[in-house]
Amino acid sequence: MTLLKVEDLHTHFISRDLDNQICIAKALNGVSFSLEAGRVLGIVGETGAGKSLTAQSIVGLLRPPAKIVAGSVRFEGRELTDMPDAELNRIRGNNIAMVVQNPRTSLDPLTRVGDQLVRLHQIHSGGPKTASHKRALEMMEAVGLPDPESRAKSWPHELSGGMAQRVLLAMALMNSPKLLIADEPTTGLDVTVQAQILDLLRSLVARFDMATLIITHDLGVVAHFCNDIAVMFGGSIVETGSVRDVFAAPAHPYTRNLIAATPERFQMGRAKALGGQPPDLYNLPSGCVLQSRCAYATELCQTTVRNAEVAEGHFALCHYAGRLEEQPAVKINA
Amino acid sequence: MTQPVLKIRNLSKRFPVGGGRVVHAVNCVDLSIMPGETLGMVGESGSGKSTLGRVILRLLEPSEGSIEFDGQDITQLPKGQIRRLRRDMQMVFQDPWSALNPRMRIRDLIAEPIKLHVDLSRSERDDRTEDLARRVNLGSTYLNRYPANLSGGQLQRACIARAIATDPKLIVLDEPTSSLDLSVRAGILELLAEIREETKAAMLFISHDLGTVRMISDRIAVLYLGEVVEQGQTEALFETPAHPYTQALLSAHLPADPAFKVSRLVLEGEVPSPIALPTGCKFHTRCPVAIARCAREVPQAIQVPSGQQASCLRIPNGGNIIQRKEDV
Repeated sequence: MTLLKVEDLHTHFISRDLDNQICIAKALNGVSFSLEAGRVLGIVGETGAGKSLTAQSIVGLLRPPAKIVAGSVRFEGRELTDMPDAELNRIRGNNIAMVVQNPRTSLDPLTRVGDQLVRLHQIHSGGPKTASHKRALEMMEAVGLPDPESRAKSWPHELSGGMAQRVLLAMALMNSPKLLIADEPTTGLDVTVQAQILDLLRSLVARFDMATLIITHDLGVVAHFCNDIAVMFGGSIVETGSVRDVFAAPAHPYTRNLIAATPERFQMGRAKALGGQPPDLYNLPSGCVLQSRCAYATELCQTTVRNAEVAEGHFALCHYAGRLEEQPAVKINA
Repeated sequence: MTQPVLKIRNLSKRFPVGGGRVVHAVNCVDLSIMPGETLGMVGESGSGKSTLGRVILRLLEPSEGSIEFDGQDITQLPKGQIRRLRRDMQMVFQDPWSALNPRMRIRDLIAEPIKLHVDLSRSERDDRTEDLARRVNLGSTYLNRYPANLSGGQLQRACIARAIATDPKLIVLDEPTSSLDLSVRAGILELLAEIREETKAAMLFISHDLGTVRMISDRIAVLYLGEVVEQGQTEALFETPAHPYTQALLSAHLPADPAFKVSRLVLEGEVPSPIALPTGCKFHTRCPVAIARCAREVPQAIQVPSGQQASCLRIPNGGNIIQRKEDV
């Protein structure tokens, strides 16, 4: 059975403007993907593409005005979107753990880190406190924190960024989750620390057979640490497939541009075709969300796009998927 | 022979932090930048990159050492004269949102340096402002807007327009692209490369993104705990890094290409505190090839066969190369 299955998820921000008119920002528009145990899926995209919102929608951390308006999120066959909070709380932090971008603001500044780990274990697993404490020390050791005994007694402000991120990872592992969601786990950390954290994450995934969702804007992280990739743009997954397939033969124009913009592939003189305004979520165009920025766009792109399978397990949300080469690229002014 | 546009010697910057303790942010740095050259400066956070950039422009006062700009020693220059010099040395900051006055229109923001440094009539200044905006590919419709109405990439373009407004000889760019999205970043880098061609301005490009630095720099200096551990031509440094820290830093970089095999050297531990610097070679506490001597002796910069300068005691006998584990 698929561990996590997200189907046609729509999340909107519904608010009222100054004239008391309802305005709707369509932030997620039909996001679908699934994740098996032991697999690592990387979600990439630019700011505002809906990466973090996807994660928050899955674990039910949305706050008004954000609201899931359609779609389903199934975890081990159970629907999460309409689950009461009390029941959801038994899954969150237990079977589903989350590591967020900013490690320092995610720790309670008034509690020693060891106690925070113990507290999380007590809530979900109960049992004697000494057992929880032992588990906390084990997990701190597993994430490579030197001298867990004394580290457990330190306060969050005494930790460096890399160490705080390790503590968050240890916290996520406390209840042996089946699904780990890491939202930009290494953004803001130095490359050498990033390497340590990612190595650690990978060995933990293998050791505990966790399914992992990594949200990042760093294609390097995806290229080397994920099995599968999902590229998001304007609240939709525009391309998905195995990392190897997508990097070798990107089928969606946006993915192509994204890969072309990495320092390794970037060629001077091409940048004008790459950038551009993100789509206006309040007023999405009909059809393809990329059409205003796409060099290949035609009238056909104003009609509804369907996911096309360009190779086995490799999908792209584009009318011209798999036959972009036949399509003349039009110069556009970015 | 052409004079370097910037030459710093033995430059140090220390910050007192109370309790008699001192943060050694920059320690005895020697660097020079030739006219038209781009020097990339890489290092982890806390390595003193940004501090060094600011000391060079005298936005911070150096604790020790000398800064020579365009043949003139500016270390002791009084504040009033420094101000006039800023016409020739400009800076672009990491965070364009906080670098621009939110209550000024983009037009006035770009015109500001011209107003301060160049004697032009109002209409000439307006023309120049519009030229600059066009040069950085910022549509003229944006000129009458306020910073809050522009995206990060557009704001960074405005910052670059400000920096090139007075035709400076040196531009210090402190992480100009790290707060921007990948596709936007490519456009900014291209703009910088074009501007460098046109104005022949020297650039000091500070960044922790190795891919970006490699793309844009002629030469690279690697900083660790406020010291330059290695500097040299970009390709030589990337192909055959000599200092163990450079080797580890470069191996931690992940190219966005799964076909690229990474053989990684993962460093143990974290960067020591700049308050209590390690003795001898600053890197010996984390260095996989450190020997007993490294804790006692401060290494001097020596030239390696591939051309760059590195400060490591183990270079003469070839012990500086770290054995790699193949990636699994």
